[in-house]
Amino acid sequence: MALIEVKDLAKAFDGKTVLKGINLELSEGQSKVVMGTSGCGKSTLLRCLNLLLPPTSGRIIFKGEDITRPGVDIRKVRADIGFVFQHFALYRHLTVEENVTLGLRKLKKMKATEAVQKASHELERVGMIEHRGKYPAQLSGGQKQRAAIVRALAMDPAVLFLDEPTSALDPEMSREVVTVINKLFLENVTMLCVTHDPFLAKYISDSIIFLDEGVVVAEDIAERLFYNHADPRIKHFFMSVIDHR
Amino acid sequence: MDAFIQDLIAYWPQILAGLKNTVVLMVIMSVTGLMGGVGVFYLTLSSHKAVRRWMDGFISFFIGTPLIVHLFLMYYGLPELGIRLSAFTVAVIGFTLNVSAYNARYLATAYNGLDKTELEAARSQGFTRRETFRLIIMPQVMRMSVPSLTNQAIQNLKDTSVAFLIQYHDFFAQMQEVASTNFQFFKAYVTAGAVYLALISIIVLAARRLEKRIALPGLAT
Repeated sequence: MALIEVKDLAKAFDGKTVLKGINLELSEGQSKVVMGTSGCGKSTLLRCLNLLLPPTSGRIIFKGEDITRPGVDIRKVRADIGFVFQHFALYRHLTVEENVTLGLRKLKKMKATEAVQKASHELERVGMIEHRGKYPAQLSGGQKQRAAIVRALAMDPAVLFLDEPTSALDPEMSREVVTVINKLFLENVTMLCVTHDPFLAKYISDSIIFLDEGVVVAEDIAERLFYNHADPRIKHFFMSVIDHR
Repeated sequence: MDAFIQDLIAYWPQILAGLKNTVVLMVIMSVTGLMGGVGVFYLTLSSHKAVRRWMDGFISFFIGTPLIVHLFLMYYGLPELGIRLSAFTVAVIGFTLNVSAYNARYLATAYNGLDKTELEAARSQGFTRRETFRLIIMPQVMRMSVPSLTNQAIQNLKDTSVAFLIQYHDFFAQMQEVASTNFQFFKAYVTAGAVYLALISIIVLAARRLEKRIALPGLAT
């Protein structure tokens, strides 16, 4: 059974339809990347899947439960989905360690010492332990994103959503983050990632979903999508992003 | 000895009582005004449009009308409707409403400078609106508002002298009494000014220490 199953998902803003009937599946341990031109609805899709944006129509089945039906416990669903943002979204007034432990203490009701232990373990995992006492403003972009990944992972989510995790970073920092996400991929962490970065997509995905104008056009492995695809939209997109790099 | 100094000594117990009344009123209105300001600010973020509109109306009304009108309305106007309140009660209510409106506006301004993706992150983690307000918004907004809230506390202290006009026996009322006994108005007002300045200097020094203490490393203050 798929961990996430999306059926005919649509989202419209002020009459403008951004997602036009998306169907996709993500199984446990699987990692998929969503790519497509700017404005094709990639980030909207992620936000609909954890209900940050309410879908206009369609169904999202998460762990066998339809989370689009009324009365669903949105907090419980969100706490089970880790979300990593393009611009890190770390809480500025908290240290790296406090950023990680806040959710553990307040949402998972862990004791402070237990939360710190868990945070230390996760920070160690991505090489951030020596930065635990620093505030976000004292970190580089790559370190911020690694801290944001730890904050999401520490909650032991069923799936990790990543929204353009390398877009706000320079190539060196981007590589640092790709290495971390690739490590998670090799550990079979379930992930759904939105990105423009073919390098990231190739190293962290089982398959790539190509979105165009709110519709899934294709889903395939990187090698088959990247070079000389039969669909001109896909061919043109990957030619431009790969040349651009 | 100078007649003015002699009068000051003679009136010392009343002056001290007035000073105490001034400080008490200032502290009370600063605390209630801050609590009220946080409450109004919280409601300005409500998901209900009607609540937001009411709060905007509240802020606009109290910022847009003079404090003395509110005090006079309650002290001299309400008795016409059979409601009599003491000068102290009127001062506390009037100042609280007024200061709450200003503080809510300062907090809202600081909120505009907040990185809203942090709020999205909090929602995506599963925090409720109230938890997000308490754990993410308030700690940052309060830090950013220290200079404005300090200015407001200073304004509160200065405004206590307005309470003299509704028969509240504050420090300024006592100095006025000293002046009217010996007709040395210049000396009385200069003394009053010096005392206010000394009290305000204490507030400023305390605020500077607080600002240093809560400054976040790596961020410009």
